[in-house]
Amino acid sequence: MTKDTTFTRRSFLKGGAVLAAPLAVAVPAAFMVNDEWKARLARLEDEVAVRELHHAWMRRINTEAGDAATPLFADPEGTCFNQALRSIAPDHAGQPDSIEIAGDGKSAAGWFHCTVEIETAIAQDCTLARMAHAQGGGFVRRTERRVLKVEYLKASGVWAIAKAEFPNGFEPATSGF
Amino acid sequence: MMGTPYPKEQMHRIAYTKLSERQIADKLSTVAVSGPTSASPLSDVFAGKSIRIVTDKGPALAYTFGRANRLSVVENGGGALEAGYGALALSSVAFFSHMIPGTERGYAVVLDQDTNLATVFELWFSGYQDNREVQREIYYGYVEQAGQQAPTARHVTTNRVEGKGFYWKQDNGAETLEFYPTAAYSHFVELSRLGGELGFCGPSDYIKINDDLFIYTRTECEFSGTFTTYVMDLNRVEQIGLRLGFDANDRLEYYVFRGKGEWLGQLAQFEKFGDESGAPVPATAAGQTPAKGARRVYRPLRTMPKLSKTEVDAVVAKKTTAFAAATGPGALMGGNRGPNTDWLAGKTFTLRYDNAPAMEYRFDDAETLNWRKEGDTWTKARYQAWESMPGVILFGHLLEGTPNHDGHSIVVDVHQGLVSCFNGYLNTPYFANEAGVKTLFGVIEMEGLTPPKYRRHYFTQEMVGRAVSQNYAPGLTSMHLYSTPHSLSWIIFTDSGAGGLEWSGPAAYVKIRDGLYFMYWLEEACNGTLGTILVNLHTMRDVGVGYHCGAEGLSMSAVGAHERLAGRFDITRFYQVKA
Repeated sequence: MTKDTTFTRRSFLKGGAVLAAPLAVAVPAAFMVNDEWKARLARLEDEVAVRELHHAWMRRINTEAGDAATPLFADPEGTCFNQALRSIAPDHAGQPDSIEIAGDGKSAAGWFHCTVEIETAIAQDCTLARMAHAQGGGFVRRTERRVLKVEYLKASGVWAIAKAEFPNGFEPATSGF
Repeated sequence: MMGTPYPKEQMHRIAYTKLSERQIADKLSTVAVSGPTSASPLSDVFAGKSIRIVTDKGPALAYTFGRANRLSVVENGGGALEAGYGALALSSVAFFSHMIPGTERGYAVVLDQDTNLATVFELWFSGYQDNREVQREIYYGYVEQAGQQAPTARHVTTNRVEGKGFYWKQDNGAETLEFYPTAAYSHFVELSRLGGELGFCGPSDYIKINDDLFIYTRTECEFSGTFTTYVMDLNRVEQIGLRLGFDANDRLEYYVFRGKGEWLGQLAQFEKFGDESGAPVPATAAGQTPAKGARRVYRPLRTMPKLSKTEVDAVVAKKTTAFAAATGPGALMGGNRGPNTDWLAGKTFTLRYDNAPAMEYRFDDAETLNWRKEGDTWTKARYQAWESMPGVILFGHLLEGTPNHDGHSIVVDVHQGLVSCFNGYLNTPYFANEAGVKTLFGVIEMEGLTPPKYRRHYFTQEMVGRAVSQNYAPGLTSMHLYSTPHSLSWIIFTDSGAGGLEWSGPAAYVKIRDGLYFMYWLEEACNGTLGTILVNLHTMRDVGVGYHCGAEGLSMSAVGAHERLAGRFDITRFYQVKA
């Protein structure tokens, strides 16, 4: 099950309550709370890092900057969608983004409700289609709501994308971003 | 000269000379000194003046205008050069042109004296693989005024001319119909030069000076390469401009002209309301820096597969396809054809043509027929049929085994007992795989049906001047402009709904019933296709068949589109033979 990582006033209050606990409990308990706090802090930092990685990847997709220098993928070949995918935008009518960090802090998964713009080239098998391509067109675009699932790996303290897919459609392909 | 000056070859058939740079330079050397000719008195609006034109991302041009149409020009602070020029004025606009001596370059300059804004066309030859094709780069700027700040406004590309059409008569007697159905191309009919049989297309620029005055250009790419530009006053319907290029006999045309015209109408535009942007077709692909003068030019003859008769016979023998599956070649063109009819299944009849052998038919089912020329042996063929209007059925089939690999696109009106057929065939004179067509009229001989003795379907001009858009499938939308009784033009839209590239070919229109027209067009010197459609103005849907031979073989495929009326030009009067 995914976890909603959107920060709320309640989540901060909960953290504050844990932070205040050492004032009223025995020392061993204070150490325990401190470890718990460190773990939580690390998890939050990981979530922020993963979110930044995701945003960087989205910028790369939406600006078609496929050759950007900063590596985002665990595999140098990258995780690629079919080139028919033109853009991915947050679906504000969908569920909030969700990022779940594994217990060992070495992997993570994210679920992002989004709208994807898909561009399909029309076949150049008639004069009109050839003319459409000749003027820089010849594509059919459509926008669909999808859930993007991304798996992340952390190596040497750096997060990278291990795998990305649209579980309910839109097949990954071998070239693209 | 006696009679209408029909050309020996239409523009798309002329083998224009591949002029060398030396030949071009030699011919330009004289006019660089003399300046352009003019049938009208030239304007002295610039005589005795000195001006400096500053352009954005372009040259700074300092001019001193002397007497007798002489000027000196300094480009970008270089040395002064003397040249002949010609100037004309219209409303607030002054226009002049000159060549640069010793080069294949020149300029055409439009100045708005009210605003001091300028549009400068740099023109040159030998910038493309065909040296005779005039190249152009457009610079926007202003005339420097001492003590004044440079204006921030500029003339701009626009779609405000899109959809308009005019009849123009130049001061030298040249008469044309000129249509601007796209914001990137234009379509023109040479009435006086070529007799007005066919219309042709060329890449064009449209630039706004103000709400009344616009600049237009056209380069006759794929043809003579001649460049035309003019400023037109849409209200007064007057023009001043320039023609530069080599005609079919390689004679240099370099003249300025004045003209008057008639407004012919306005077609619909399909951009979003509020979109007045111009130049909808980018000069290059995204991310590429356009070279000087770059523009998208449709050059169909260069990419057309050209087969000999032997090659045609071979490819036809190798692969012949009639109405391939919905995903096959050309399938998109039939995306909105609507359901087929099985009305013909089980029927038997003879189509007795007035001007061709009678054809006998036995229809096995909704997709299989047997045909024979009367008394000959039967041949089985795949067909498809659509009932466009009650009692009117269009069907098509290939005539396997005929010497020229014929295909018939047939409309039968079983209420009237009439038939019309566009008989496509190959092995035509220019390229063997380019389709030709014969139009056959006749009657249906069928049990229970008595056809008329004299009445026939007939060629009509009722569609001439109309524009009709066709949506064949998602992403595949075009518009037909029926610009002459013998040709039509097709326009491709951009994603924004602007008219983009455009081309044209010979055509004919047959009236089947009121609001129902059977028409063909030939994509000559393009890809050789014969397109046939039955246009129903009541339902605004067309159905038809395409007949094509290329390296991949011979095919007949379904065509069908949802249509919209886009307007009509009042032009049939220009095509009447008068006493």
